[in-house]
Amino acid sequence: MKMKSMLKYFISLVGCMIMCMNLHAQQDSIPTIDSFVIKKKYGIRFGVDLSKITRTLLESDYSGFELNGDYRISNKLYIAGEVGTEERTSITDYLNSTAEGNYLKIGSDYNMHNNWGDMDNLVYFGFRFGISNFKQTLNNYTIYDTNSQTWGPTEIADPKTFTGLNTGWVELMFGFKAEVLTNLFVGVNLQMKRRLYETQPDNFENIYIPGFGRTFDSGKFGIGFGYNVSYLVPLYKKVK
Amino acid sequence: MKQFLCLFLIVIFSCEKDDICADTVQTTPRLVIEFYDLTAPDNVLAVAGLFARGLDSGNAEGVPINNEVVFTRSKISLPLKTDGSNETEFILFKNYDVVDGVESGNRDTIKITYNTENVYVSRACGYKTNFEILTFSITEDSDQWMRNSDIIIYNITNENEIHVKIFH
Repeated sequence: MKMKSMLKYFISLVGCMIMCMNLHAQQDSIPTIDSFVIKKKYGIRFGVDLSKITRTLLESDYSGFELNGDYRISNKLYIAGEVGTEERTSITDYLNSTAEGNYLKIGSDYNMHNNWGDMDNLVYFGFRFGISNFKQTLNNYTIYDTNSQTWGPTEIADPKTFTGLNTGWVELMFGFKAEVLTNLFVGVNLQMKRRLYETQPDNFENIYIPGFGRTFDSGKFGIGFGYNVSYLVPLYKKVK
Repeated sequence: MKQFLCLFLIVIFSCEKDDICADTVQTTPRLVIEFYDLTAPDNVLAVAGLFARGLDSGNAEGVPINNEVVFTRSKISLPLKTDGSNETEFILFKNYDVVDGVESGNRDTIKITYNTENVYVSRACGYKTNFEILTFSITEDSDQWMRNSDIIIYNITNENEIHVKIFH
């Protein structure tokens, strides 16, 4: 009996010591663990496409402006979109036309880059659905006639505007975004697009589509690029 | 990623040709005339020393037609004006010859009136003109070698077929 109670006492003492050790150990390790908890900034990022601003300043036949933004919904995934306006005059040997209009692109970006520490750089694939409302003006054209040496070329300068044109497309994007200063990002991206639908002007075609870019005779595909500067407005921090 | 960039560059550079109008693209068609035997209207009859010039108002000598040379043949292609005047005249010579700067041969005049329609081709080539023949006439003179004509195809959209038959 005595032995039994002594054993009980001993066990409970050891148990108590272990618990105390445990508690002690926990107290000791709290700051240690905390330094390895990585909290990522979540927020809304706003930006502009610098390439469009640069081209507006340098090219006489182009003007454009684009605002872009994204909102982080998980460690890897962002809801992203762009809204912009473009005016572009396309000139070939026989044809001179101007497209003018607005566009909206909505989609998401998926970050493939594994960041060290609390860094938030992006190497991403993006997907967008884009729509554009625009008009095209046929400024002037020269009749395509390889036998025109006899009577001379005929030029027709009777501007005609085709309004109410619209196009929808899907877009795959690949790009980088790097945080160069706190919350300030610069990025580049390449865009591959494919038109889903479009209204074609009568006896003409869509030469340039704001947001989509120039069209190609070979099909419904298009390409583009962006050079963005954006600022992150942090809303909260979260562990991954 | 490398493949993606490659694909991107291929797309950029392979499509530049879209901006250059290739010679093979169907251009504004010329009027195609074929000559037939007046006495046997189903038979093609070549014209000896056939030559043509454009005829512009106030220029009796005529306007040289590009690539037009004298030679005996049964078919000729003539460029119509696309400037909105909607009529073109040509001088057609039979037995044309030039000796010491003096022209010889039988000279007749034809006149075509038409409507035009400019049809979109492509961004590189722009628009070409198609024609709808309204009238085709041979100006009468004392020694007319072209006696009669027949419009076969009124809408000129290509040069693959004969638009007008002339009997001589």
